[in-house]
Formats: sequence, C-alpha cells, structure tokens
Amino acid sequence: MKHNFLLASMALAATAALGISNASAVDPSKTLLINDAGGQWVEAVAKCIDEPFFQKTGIKVTHEVPGGIAKLLAMVESGKITGALFDGETGEIEQAKAKGLLKKIDWAKINPEPMFDEAKQEYAMGTSFYSTIMAWRSDAKAPGNFVEFFDTVNFPGKRALPNYPGFILPFAALGDGVPVDQLFPLDLDRAFKTLDRIKDDTIWWEAGAQAPQLLQDNEAQYAISWSGRVAGKEGVTISFNQGMLDMSWFMMPKGADPAEMEAAWLWLHEHTVKANQACVAQYISYPGPSPELDPLLPQDRLGEFPTYSENKKVQWLTDAKWWFDNVDTVQKRWEEYKLQQ
Amino acid sequence: MTLASPTASGPARPVARRWSFTRPTEVTRILPLFILVVLCFDVPLLVALGWSVRDPKGPDPTLRHYIDFTTSPIYLPVVWRTIELAAIVTGFCAILGYPLALWITRLSAGRQLVAIGLVIIPFWISILVRTYAWIVILGNAGVVNRTLKELGLIEKSIPFLYNELGVAIGMVNVLLPFMVLPIYAAMLRVDSRLLHVAATLGASSFSIFWRVFFPITLPALSATMALVFILSLGFYITPAILGGGKVPLIANMMDMFINRLPRWELASAVAMTLLLVTLLLYAGYQWLRSRTPA
Amino acid sequence: MTGGRATFGRALLAAYAGVVIFFMCLPILVVVPMSFSSAKSLRFPPPGWSLRWYGSFFKDDRWLDASVNSLVLAFLASTLSLILGTLAAYAIVRGRFPGKRLIESNFMAPMILPPIITAIALFIFYARLDVLGTFGGLIVAHTVLAAPYVVLLMTIAIQSFDIRIEQVALTLGASKLQMLTRVMMPNLVPSALAAWIFAFIISFDEVIVTMFLSGRYFTIPKRMFAQLMEQINPTITAIATLLILFSIVTVGMVGLLMHRAGLLKPRIGDARADVR
Repeated sequence: MKHNFLLASMALAATAALGISNASAVDPSKTLLINDAGGQWVEAVAKCIDEPFFQKTGIKVTHEVPGGIAKLLAMVESGKITGALFDGETGEIEQAKAKGLLKKIDWAKINPEPMFDEAKQEYAMGTSFYSTIMAWRSDAKAPGNFVEFFDTVNFPGKRALPNYPGFILPFAALGDGVPVDQLFPLDLDRAFKTLDRIKDDTIWWEAGAQAPQLLQDNEAQYAISWSGRVAGKEGVTISFNQGMLDMSWFMMPKGADPAEMEAAWLWLHEHTVKANQACVAQYISYPGPSPELDPLLPQDRLGEFPTYSENKKVQWLTDAKWWFDNVDTVQKRWEEYKLQQ
Repeated sequence: MTLASPTASGPARPVARRWSFTRPTEVTRILPLFILVVLCFDVPLLVALGWSVRDPKGPDPTLRHYIDFTTSPIYLPVVWRTIELAAIVTGFCAILGYPLALWITRLSAGRQLVAIGLVIIPFWISILVRTYAWIVILGNAGVVNRTLKELGLIEKSIPFLYNELGVAIGMVNVLLPFMVLPIYAAMLRVDSRLLHVAATLGASSFSIFWRVFFPITLPALSATMALVFILSLGFYITPAILGGGKVPLIANMMDMFINRLPRWELASAVAMTLLLVTLLLYAGYQWLRSRTPA
Repeated sequence: MTGGRATFGRALLAAYAGVVIFFMCLPILVVVPMSFSSAKSLRFPPPGWSLRWYGSFFKDDRWLDASVNSLVLAFLASTLSLILGTLAAYAIVRGRFPGKRLIESNFMAPMILPPIITAIALFIFYARLDVLGTFGGLIVAHTVLAAPYVVLLMTIAIQSFDIRIEQVALTLGASKLQMLTRVMMPNLVPSALAAWIFAFIISFDEVIVTMFLSGRYFTIPKRMFAQLMEQINPTITAIATLLILFSIVTVGMVGLLMHRAGLLKPRIGDARADVR
C-alpha cells in the first residue's frame, strides 16, 4: 500500500515534470474551488494563473470569499468541506495545524520549480510575499531604523500603526533597541514600553487601505504599513530596512474531495512558475516565491517588491510558532494596553 | 380621511377581547414569520449558542467561558463602553431626529416628499463609503478643519476623528434616518382634529405641543429609540475606522473572537449574554408599551 | 393665535431641521463630487474632473452583476419581510394568545445578535441542508434579518391605529377585505413604506452574513468589502452616486403613485391646516 502510494507519487512527479497530469491514483477533477479573501491579488491570479491553467488542463478554477480559519472551522462544524484550498495568514496556519484540520502538502505532487525555502512548509505553501515596513510622508524627516521611527522627540509627528499585535509588537521591541537577531522570543516588556512612550501620538489602523490614506491626508506623518499599500503612493516614502517579511499561504483541509485535491496540487505548481509570478507582479507588488524573479519584475518599480534581493536581505521573518505558543499572554497584555487608552 | 375617531388613542385591548372570532386568524397571521424564524434562525442559533458551554478539551459542558468573560478585566469594559456609546448616540438621534420629523409633517405635501427623500438618500451610500467620506470631511486635512483655518477661527486642527467623538458622529449619521422615518410616520397618524379642538379651546401652540402632541407621539419615540439603541450595539465598521483602533465595541471584540484568536466558545458566551440582556431590556420596553395607552 | 412667538418658534424649528438635514446629507455632498474626480484616491475637492470611475463601473461586468444581485435580493427580501412582518405585527397587536410576548421577542433576536455569529451559525446550518450558496437561501436569511424592523415599526403603527375605526367600518357593512384595503391600509401606508425602506436597506447593506452564505453570488457590499480593505478605489463613489440617482427616481415615482392614489395630499393637507 505504502509502496503503491510512493510509486504513484513518483510517477506523478515524473509525469508532471513532462507536463502530463493524469497519472495519479485519482484523476484530478475538472473544477477546483478555492476559498480566499478575494481582492486585487486574487483578481491578478485569475488572469495570470487560472486562465492559462484552464487552457492547459481543462480545470476550471473558481474562488469564493471569504477564506481563512473561521470559514474552515465553520465547514468542519458542518461536516462538509467544500473547496480543496483555503488561504491563510502565517498565524492561521499554526492554529489550523494545532486543531488537526490540515492535510500535509504533497510537495512531490506539486513538483515545484525553484522557490524560497521559507515558502515551503509541511502544511502550507507560501504563494505571495508581502512586507510590513515603515513609511513616512516625504516631507517628514526620514528615519533610518525603528529606534528612530519610534523617537517622537527627534522625529515629531503621529504614527499610524497596525491594530494587530503580530504586526506591531516586534517593531515596538526594535524601537526599544532589541537587535533584529534577538527578536524572538519576543521581549513583550520592552515592546510595550515603546508603545506606552508614544501612546499619545498613535493612530491605529484596521484596514490596509487606511495607512496610505492617513499619510496622504496628513493625519499621520509616519506609518507601519503593508508594503503593497504604500509602495508607489504619491508623497509617501518607504523603506524595507528592518521590515518584516511574511507570506500569504494556501492550506489544504482534511476531508476535501480527493479528485479536487489532485487538481489543487497542479494549480499550486503553477504558482511556482516564475513567468506566472511575473505576470501577477504587473498588477500588484506581492511577488511569488521564486528566487529568480528579480529580472522578470518591472525594473522601474523593483524597489517596491518585498523579495527584491536588496530588500529581502534587510528584512526578517516572523516566528509563527512563538506567536502560537504565546497567544494567550500576548492577547492579554495587548488588550490591557489597549484598554488604558 | 373619512373615518376619524374622536381621539387618536384607543383602548385597544379590552375591545379586542370581545372580537373573539379574530383569535384563530391572528394565530395564522403570525405563523408564517414564526415558522420562518424558528427554522432559519432559532434552530441554527441554538447550535451556535450551545458552543458557549462547550469544553474544547473534554466532553462535559462547562461554564468556563461565561466566567472568563465576566471576570476578565478586559471584556466587560468593552461591553460597558458599547452600551454607554449606544445610549449617547440614541439620545443625540432623538434630539436631532424628533424636531426634524415634526418640521417635515408641517410642510406641504410636495415638500414633505422632498424632505423625506433627503432623509432617505444617505441610506444609499453604503456604511463603508460613508465612513470614508467622514475622513474626507472631518480629518485633520479635511473640509471642516481647512475651512475653519481659512476663516482664522482655529490654528491647529480639531481632532474630530480617531476618538469616541468620531465614532459617535459616524454612528449618529448612519442612525438618524432610522429615527426620523418611524417618528414621522407616527406623527402623520396623529389626528389633526384633536389638535384643532385644543386650539379652539384656546390652548397656545406651545401647550398643544407639550400637553397633546408630544404625549401622543411618545410611544413611537420610545419604540424608535429602542430600535436605534439596539442597532447601535452592533456597529463594526464605524468604530474600526473612525475610532482609530482606540474605541473597540462589542462587534469588534466578536470579530477578534471569531476570526483572529479564534475562540468561538467565548464568542458564543458573549453573544448569549448580549442576547439575554437585550431581550430583557426589550421585555421592559414591551411592558412599558402595554402600560402606555397607544 | 400667539402670533410673533409662534412664528419665531416655527422659524427656529425650520433652521434646526435644516441643520440636521445638512448633517445627514453631508456625506453625499462630498461623495457625489468625488465620483467625478480624476484623482486615484479620495480627495476633496477633487483636483480635476473625469468620468473614469463611471467607466470602470460600467465596463466591469462583475460590478453590474453585483448590482443586479443586490437590487433583486433586497427587493425580494424586503417585500417578503414586509408582508410576513406586517401580518405578524397585526397578530401581535390585535390577537390574544399565549406566548405572544415571547414570540415577539424572538422576532427581535436577529436584530440583536452580532452578525458574525448569525453568519457562522447559518453557514453551518445551510451547509448541512445543502443550500449554501443558493440565492434562495440568501433571500430567506435576509428576510429573517430584515423582519424585526418591519415587526417593530408595524406594531407601533397598528397599535396607534384606533381599533374602533375598524369596528365602525365593519358595523357599517364593510367587508373585512374592504375594511383592510379602504380603511386600514391607507392609514398604514406611511409606516409600511418606512418599514419597507428599512428592510430594503438592511438587506442592501448587509455584508457579513452575505459574505458567508452567498457562495459565488456577489453583492455590491461584498464586492466593495474586499476592495476597500485593500485600496480606497473611487469606483465606490460612482456606485453610490448611481444609487442616489436610482433612489431619487424611485422615491419620485412612489410619490407620484401615492399622489395619484390620493394617499398623500388630503390627509397631510388636513393636518397642516389644523395644526396652524
């Protein structure tokens, strides 16, 4: 049995490499349903990946909003899983994994082209990189690092910050002088010390679209924002220095239709093709996981891409495991802090 | 209007009792909605509210989530803040909405239509869009602050947004039509002859209003205030965006429990508590309504 | 009557009402001009003018699709909840049967519960029944969500409508149907219209429950939600402006119909004359 499986997957790997896709135990279904948050990235994927994928394989891909862990949990409660893939943030992967909801990613079946190691996880595949970075009004004094960013005396002005602990606390720790290579385990005391210090100069944003708007409206002079939201915005300067590099993931739920799963592996393979990634990058500056993407990106906007080699090397990756293990402590401290405001 | 009663108020209940033949029909009238609500709301909800006593680690029911919720120093203040803000918002809606409705009833028919149109039109702009519109209007670089500066009235921008004030302004704006329309509809039904009689008896328009008109419309006002209050408990987008993350309300807390943490059992416990408390308030309102002559 | 004081009072009331209406319409006064803006972000006053956002609406089938879905859904759900809700409200006011209060409270529950809970609960329920992602399922959900508004408003309306008028009409030989159509209905029209509009808007603006239940159907707010979280795209101001136009036409038509049916003028004319 085990041997058969191994053989089958090896055969698939071999045939998939040749561009033939019907050698697995179950034939891939002709439709593939994906649960995700929608938005610009998915629209770009529909054009750059779903369309050619349909031409090539005859598999029709459809997307349904929302994705994420809440919908996955609801499906598990109902006992009916529709859709072979769910999108998720780094933290959601850990949560779903811990609840035992996920199927392992079959890397042999995906048979990926070269991709960054950090995008290749046991239970999830990273399909688009984004960064959380500092940005400021071009007419404000430019900070060089996060110690300066949080220095409201020498860099006066309001700070627009993400209202999500995972996206702000590490930066706040950097702001208190914690070195990047010692960020995790995160020193919450030092992080909250920074936030306490700048409390009166803070505006919290909830929707990604708010950060650039707050800067452009002069509500805030400095912001921590998702890179794709502030890059290339008029009157806004960005820096990837000490930025947090992260990915959006796809995970596969246990209990999905086996034939659809097969289709999903094939679809995920398309995400590793660098030409496809370059196509998506035309529409939105969230690049795929290929390390060879730089020459294919729009050269005049290279600096906007999180994985551009010059940007990638000055950033750090978050520690999803630490966040998951410490969720209760973090949540409690975070809420206590927010309440004092 | 051909059939008018001497008064707008009527002792509805004692008379209804005599009309015994209406009884079976009343039940059949309420049945369609009742069945729909039971099947498509109550049944699914019972399952969800059952989570509030579910122990994620074992098979036995537990009250842990209720204890977590009520003893936490964090969650209850959010509930209180929501209730406080809802009360303030409801109060402002009444103060702003009642006189507006009154004014509209005194316009000519054509103008009434225009005025009602103006009240309804903001409805068509989705709450999401309206919230962003307020940023353009009330922000530091917004229309209001710029105008005040140009007029030389202020030097530094007034911080309307990213605090409770911003949330309250946004909520009152969204809820005002909900206040004005029912009150207006109720005012239209006030029997004009009653006011006429009062006037011929020599009452001043001031005392006609306070001694006759206002008491007649009071049940509608209080019912509408109950509606607006309940509605304002559920705001999500307005506090998220106009509150600058500093004014989380119950709905924002629920979003965190469902989507971010996720702790559905806790979410369910909070929902259950909210439902019970609000329904108790509603029962209080029903009681008040039954005591007030309509 | 009291002459000067009353006139002054009326002027004061008019000024106050004017300010309140201005406050209510303030978002429109910036949204409509911004829809003709040439800028890529929401800026007021717009730096230049263009029709590009209308272009991006009409050229995009998905927006048109979402608009049709939203309007059809809101129309059906609000009409259904108006009919069921009014019948129920009549029973609540005029009927006497055990559990009446409880049932009434039950009707209010969908309005009280945080929508995210309703969304998840209905999602699971619909998935089990295999009606997830169907338009019919969406209509039912929206009807249940909109019904409390109808019940609340119509209860008040029917309660303050004197039952003796009904009795007089009946004793004068009117049939029950005549009583309803000739006496009851005209008196309830303003409230019913308000209730219908509320129900319509509740459905039209609903996003959280819709998001979970609608599957591949898109409505305007559902489409907007994903986009607005990422990027503030002025297309939404164009949509808002088109909807305002649509609502003006609708309100105008309803007004005309009511005027023709004689529902509006005589009653209100009376009231006005007498208050003075």
